Amino acid sequence: MIELRHITKSYKTPYGPNVVLDDISVKIPTGESIGILGQNGAGKSTLLRIIGGAEMPDYGEVIRNAKLSWPIGFAGGFNGSLTGEDNCKFVARIYGQDVDRVIDETREFAEVGKYFYMPVRTYSSGMKARVAFGLSMAIDFDVYLVDEVTAVGDKRFKEKCAAVFEARRERSSMIMVSHSMAVLKKQCKRGALLSKGRFEVFDTIAEAIEAYEAGVAA
Amino acid sequence: MKAVDAMMGQFEVVHALALRETRTRFGAHKLGFFWALVEPSIFILTFFVLFKLGGRDAPVGMTLFSFMATGVIPYLIFANTVNRVAESINGNKSLLFYPQVNPLDVVFARAFLEFTTYAGVFMILMGIESLYLQQLTISDPLLVLMSFVLASLLGTGLGLVFCGLAQFSNAVDRARGPIMRPFFWVSGIFFTAAGLPPEARQHMLHNPVLHLTELSRAGWFDRYEQTHADPLLVLTWSVGLLLLGLTLERVVRRKIEVT
Repeated sequence: MIELRHITKSYKTPYGPNVVLDDISVKIPTGESIGILGQNGAGKSTLLRIIGGAEMPDYGEVIRNAKLSWPIGFAGGFNGSLTGEDNCKFVARIYGQDVDRVIDETREFAEVGKYFYMPVRTYSSGMKARVAFGLSMAIDFDVYLVDEVTAVGDKRFKEKCAAVFEARRERSSMIMVSHSMAVLKKQCKRGALLSKGRFEVFDTIAEAIEAYEAGVAA
Repeated sequence: MKAVDAMMGQFEVVHALALRETRTRFGAHKLGFFWALVEPSIFILTFFVLFKLGGRDAPVGMTLFSFMATGVIPYLIFANTVNRVAESINGNKSLLFYPQVNPLDVVFARAFLEFTTYAGVFMILMGIESLYLQQLTISDPLLVLMSFVLASLLGTGLGLVFCGLAQFSNAVDRARGPIMRPFFWVSGIFFTAAGLPPEARQHMLHNPVLHLTELSRAGWFDRYEQTHADPLLVLTWSVGLLLLGLTLERVVRRKIEVT
């Protein structure tokens, strides 16, 4: 269970503050995967980062009773001058994992070959994403925060990611942000809608999609 | 129990950061740590030559080499800690992406790394000199250590203040260089407080960094009896700056945008 209490976040613009999240208080069940819908710029990625703790809200707090991943698909968090291996070591350490096991699993999954031992700044964006994804899979999270992950890599790699997530489903769930209704329908049981600073959780993804489409049409 | 777990977790994060900082600071060059050794060595060597050419020598009872080293090392701990800590948020935003890393962890890891690096460099340089001279006497090792620890605290405090203020305006980062530069000349790297004219000394002793070099020399040399340095003054400055810096961090931590 993740609980948001009075989460408020706004960004300064030359035209006055833009309130993205407006006093959101909600309990998000984590047993089953949940898909978050919302229009471009509604603040979905911001919300995901706040849930994960990568960013702080202006006001309010997040109570987390589960081990959450960082927002996957967002390939930040790597230091360009360090090798892929060193970056993974660092992350394994701060999550209190067995460093050697995490390194082995990530290397195997990412399939970047010798690049694993070269500075991350020499990576293509696809390679970076593969290492980041492999790393997140090597660490046992209860809940994966997924930000448009399916956009990463070639077809074969996508299939591999989907297969891993499928296998993980028994142990872990997802909070997923995507524009693709098909992906959300397939991957998530529950749904939620973020619109005009408000956040609403639905029992099924179908209800969330319905509410979203009603909002777009209106 | 929860507090202990949290503390262990935090310790692990700082440890991981220190290892990572070691890599980013030294690892880029094949020679690594060697560069940390070269910086103060060139420093000492240059002024060694200048002093000799100018016909000056170290105060009685000090070799020129150890006179320079006891002045340069506390100064470098102070100045480099200020600069590294001041850049710990802006230079490391990608790290804050991981929820268990907060800005203060980066600050502590960096301050710790500067301290151990230059304390290590000091031991190596002094070791080399004592091998060359075939003798080694340290008057009061704990006093030397105190000077280094205070240099680190003072540097962390001032660095935190710069770091916090830099979140409000970029001008702070640009002003830091000019603000820090005079410390090089007025902090006793090239002179001792005892060697100054009394009126000048009175003014110079407002600078806490001068107290640091005085303390390290008093600790190192048997025959240097300093009566001017006041550890309490440095400590007061350090605690004051740390409190101000930590307060600023609380104010700005929600403003930091992770990119």
